[in-house]
Amino acid sequence: MRRIGPTLLLAVTVLPAAGCGRVGADPTAAAVAPPGGAYELELGKSIYLAYCATCHGETGAGDGFNAFNLDPRPRDLGDPAFQKSKSDENLEDVVRRGGAGVGLSSLMPPWGHTFNERQIEEVTLFLRSLERD
Amino acid sequence: MPLRRLFAVSSLLFLVTLAVSPVKNALRPYRFIQREFRDLGMSRATSRKAMELYANRPVAIQQIWLRDFEDRVDRCTTCHLGVADAAMRGAPEPFRLHPATFHTPGGFERIGCTACHGGEGLATLQDDAHGVAQENIAPMTPATFIQSGCGRCHLSATVPDAPTLSRGRALMERAGCYSCHAVRGHDAYRSEAPPLDAIAIKTGAVWLRGWLEDPRAVDPNATMPNFHLGADDILALSHYMFGRPAPDALARRVAAAAGEPLGDPATGRRLFSESRCISCHTVDGKGNGSAPELGTIASAATRGWLIAFLRDPHAFNPRTRMPRYNFSDGDVRDIVAYFDDELRDFDAPADVLEPLRVNQTLAAKGATLFRNAGCGSCHASGPASETEKFGPDLDGIGDRRAASLDFGRRRDLPQTLTSWLVAKIESPRSFADGLRMPSYGFDADEQRAIVTALLAHGAQAVPEKLRHSATQPVAMIPGGRVGELFSRYRCLSCHQIGNRGGDTSTAPLTFEGSKVNEEWLVDYLLLPSSLRPILPERMPILKMSREEASLLADTFEKFYVDPSIVEDPFAGRAESDRDAAEGERLYTTLGCRGCHIIGMAGGYYGPTLTEAARRLKPGWVFHFLKNPQGWRGDIRCPNYALPDTDALRLTAYLGTLGSSRDAAAPATGKESTR
Repeated sequence: MRRIGPTLLLAVTVLPAAGCGRVGADPTAAAVAPPGGAYELELGKSIYLAYCATCHGETGAGDGFNAFNLDPRPRDLGDPAFQKSKSDENLEDVVRRGGAGVGLSSLMPPWGHTFNERQIEEVTLFLRSLERD
Repeated sequence: MPLRRLFAVSSLLFLVTLAVSPVKNALRPYRFIQREFRDLGMSRATSRKAMELYANRPVAIQQIWLRDFEDRVDRCTTCHLGVADAAMRGAPEPFRLHPATFHTPGGFERIGCTACHGGEGLATLQDDAHGVAQENIAPMTPATFIQSGCGRCHLSATVPDAPTLSRGRALMERAGCYSCHAVRGHDAYRSEAPPLDAIAIKTGAVWLRGWLEDPRAVDPNATMPNFHLGADDILALSHYMFGRPAPDALARRVAAAAGEPLGDPATGRRLFSESRCISCHTVDGKGNGSAPELGTIASAATRGWLIAFLRDPHAFNPRTRMPRYNFSDGDVRDIVAYFDDELRDFDAPADVLEPLRVNQTLAAKGATLFRNAGCGSCHASGPASETEKFGPDLDGIGDRRAASLDFGRRRDLPQTLTSWLVAKIESPRSFADGLRMPSYGFDADEQRAIVTALLAHGAQAVPEKLRHSATQPVAMIPGGRVGELFSRYRCLSCHQIGNRGGDTSTAPLTFEGSKVNEEWLVDYLLLPSSLRPILPERMPILKMSREEASLLADTFEKFYVDPSIVEDPFAGRAESDRDAAEGERLYTTLGCRGCHIIGMAGGYYGPTLTEAARRLKPGWVFHFLKNPQGWRGDIRCPNYALPDTDALRLTAYLGTLGSSRDAAAPATGKESTR
């Protein structure tokens, strides 16, 4: 009898408590995780390096090896003023429709039929990371 | 009385026992998580209807049952409720929207979660599901290696949307991992490393010592890893290698060549540049770098060997990617004179190419060392069956449990498969004494890519239905005389044909006959012009005969043809579709000149179009313009979604550039585009 009492007490109090402990811990830990985007950024970078860096340069400064042939020269994508003046939608639009599509130079080609919408979002996300301090 | 009390207590105990299960169920963590998701959803909802949907969500286990995928059941969505919910973009885990990939959000029902992420699909407690609780359940794949999941189903070397995986697979191929490790699908792999029978007639003991100390210090392009050999071992190995008798035929050729007078270095330099050696080699770091650096070649190999090798590289190494140029005897003497004059290590000791006087005791010790270090796995001269795969089998490495791995001395590592693999690649011998795997000097990104490729080797192959191989047609490689020419000039070292061949060239030859005019191709094979001025990799002047060039061009014209590409795209079209002037206007407004050269103006990225009419068939131009990526998946030319009329007019315009096909018929073999 003496042995059953404490066991009972333990079963009634500890079991739910253990459960509660788990519940409390999980979402809190998750809430401090950083917002998403790292994976998309990596994919965007690989697209940028393959298709854009030729003219815009690896750092976005507009100094790719093909840039010297172009007039007007490619945009310096790292320029903070430029980055602030454009919304994501603006950037996506130029990627999609090219310079000619938004009244700029046709030397920037349209990529809307080469990339899908997801890839355009990814490359735009990467363009944002090119902004210099 | 005590009996009644005992009865009462046991009844109470029975009731409590009965209650434990429902209470436990009511307190399952996922229930709290689901309620939290409901609150989060309601706070993020933008419409009343959406709000109601969140409010009325039943609290229950969610699961994806994959009938076609080993009957897997993934319950991850029990907690990860927002993976396909656009309102959950950037939400805190476990509710965040899944990043968009090729298969998501469309493919959740077909592929599930654990196929890419690992973990225990059936579990509904976080630690169990994520595989951190016990050693006998599957751990999750860290996000940094996530593309290994792509590789479980996608078996081809290059996987679109998975650049890290593709890079890892390419690195493993180049580093020769499959020489020592058996891996499913790579059984036929042979290293390109040269057979070592002829080392005594090629180089000297001093050079060999430097090479064995650290191959990459001698040649940054070296694929041979560092075996961390001590001075004694290097000495023994040198004696063994200089003691191996060179094949008679090769020794005679080298000895005869050594007695030949040297030619004219200036002519040699011109030949070297025309032969486009740096399409594969480098000189002082300039060039492609997939073949040895030649900046000090005259101090690495004897004059006789160089002459004999250039005349017939395949006799010295049947597996080399180097073509056998059709040099004359004099050409080779000129080239080697150029090496002798300029491409030497002027600081090298005078005896750098002196052979070694072999000590048999040391040579015997070296023979044992040679066997134990596994040199033969890459350098064997016999067939693949003779090479020994003494590294562990890597099939299933991606599903190994950390508990089954030998961490040896590396107590510092976290007990996970991925950290073990990274450390194995970074410093393989740090685990214990006597380990044989050499160091490859991969940087952190390369290590990550290789581990990604390794993790793709699951314990079991995924079901046939989900497996995805490249859609490339099977390569057609002819036999007979044409096959001999393919082999002699090593077309496949740079060009792809169907599912075979290298990727040094940007021009696959699978449908070359549909693409280029036969007359142009004959001229190009005889004297290749620079189509892409910016690339260091250019088609070499192989010095083939006109008869050989005609035979190859004829073969391409007749057999390497895509039936979906029409000969005459203008047939049955309106006369206005042939409007070349309108095509020229399109060429300007579309910005084609940003990448292509015509005459003296234009960009340096795409191929030059100065002689487009002579080179390209109109049917192909039209086909390409309609869908550039359909020709080759990674083509950089954007798809402008041109209507037929515009594509035809552009085709007509390109048809006016350079001499026309008819005018070029009496080909002279001379071109002036360089």
